[in-house]
Amino acid sequence: MSWMSCKSANRLQKFHYNLLIALTTVIALGGPAEAATQGTAGATSTGSISITASVPNRTQITGLSDISFANADPTTVATSTQNDCVWSNTATKGYSIKATGSGAAGAFTLANGGLTVPYSVQWSQSSGQSSGTNLTAGTALSGQVSTATTPTCSSGPSTTSSLIVSIASSDLQNMVAATSYTGSLTLLVTPQ
Amino acid sequence: MGLLACGSAAAQAQQVQISNLSDVGFGAISNLQADISQSQTVCAFSNILSARYSITATGSGTGGAFTLTNGAANLAYDVQWNALANQTSGTALSPGTALTGQVSGAVTFGCTLGLTSSGSLTIILRAATLSSAAAGNFSGTLSLMIAPN
Repeated sequence: MSWMSCKSANRLQKFHYNLLIALTTVIALGGPAEAATQGTAGATSTGSISITASVPNRTQITGLSDISFANADPTTVATSTQNDCVWSNTATKGYSIKATGSGAAGAFTLANGGLTVPYSVQWSQSSGQSSGTNLTAGTALSGQVSTATTPTCSSGPSTTSSLIVSIASSDLQNMVAATSYTGSLTLLVTPQ
Repeated sequence: MGLLACGSAAAQAQQVQISNLSDVGFGAISNLQADISQSQTVCAFSNILSARYSITATGSGTGGAFTLTNGAANLAYDVQWNALANQTSGTALSPGTALTGQVSGAVTFGCTLGLTSSGSLTIILRAATLSSAAAGNFSGTLSLMIAPN
């Protein structure tokens, strides 16, 4: 009697199992098609999925330092150079750079009240340079290529580019002595 | 006698099944400064008495690495597994290395009939990776194998 009970139970279990398999099949056939692969029952079972992600173009400029032309000698051009880090994640690591001053309409000028003095801005896509391509206020210089491997040059090359800011001797001579002229320069890099 | 008869039923072949897997699409990631993850509840079924199983994940990167590719650059991701359903974190998996000692709460193959699902899979793209990632459309596959354990 006990044996018969277990046999019956086994048959019932098998019936339920077959029913589940059938229902699973129906559900699977009726469900939406997916690229994901479902595992089948077995000694081992393997399924797979696809994973996708899209990373947008990004760029970053860091390593910028303030510039001070203190007690500049008006008989010679005053120049400040600094090495910066520009990172671009595009396939070519390309970028453009646009500089905007704090003068009228973005002009490259320093000011003290109504007094102003112009300065020039040069950019080189290589670090350690004392000259580069002249930038025009508000106009992008394209076709630059970065060598940075990380956004802030924390590894790989520590700097990638050079910023050169100058005040011409003739402009220095027009400045009022012992007077501080100030301004700001904004650099915008865009991935290309 | 009854125990012997029922014992023969317990000698069924050990079988497991992983199913209810879905593709993962992160879409266009706008914030590259934060971790981004997606979790899904799947069905991991094991018919052995303890319902124990192991799970092994293998990516499509070199040597089974968990990496996506855009053809020129790779993008690494993390994989976590949790034996419970509806979880958003779990134990980190290493490519090709089985995570043992998992116990399924599923009671049917395929977790059919609305019965208990078992297992949560979480895919994570880390900010540390994203912040310096190359631009492009990345893709890859992840295979998950479960075995009685």
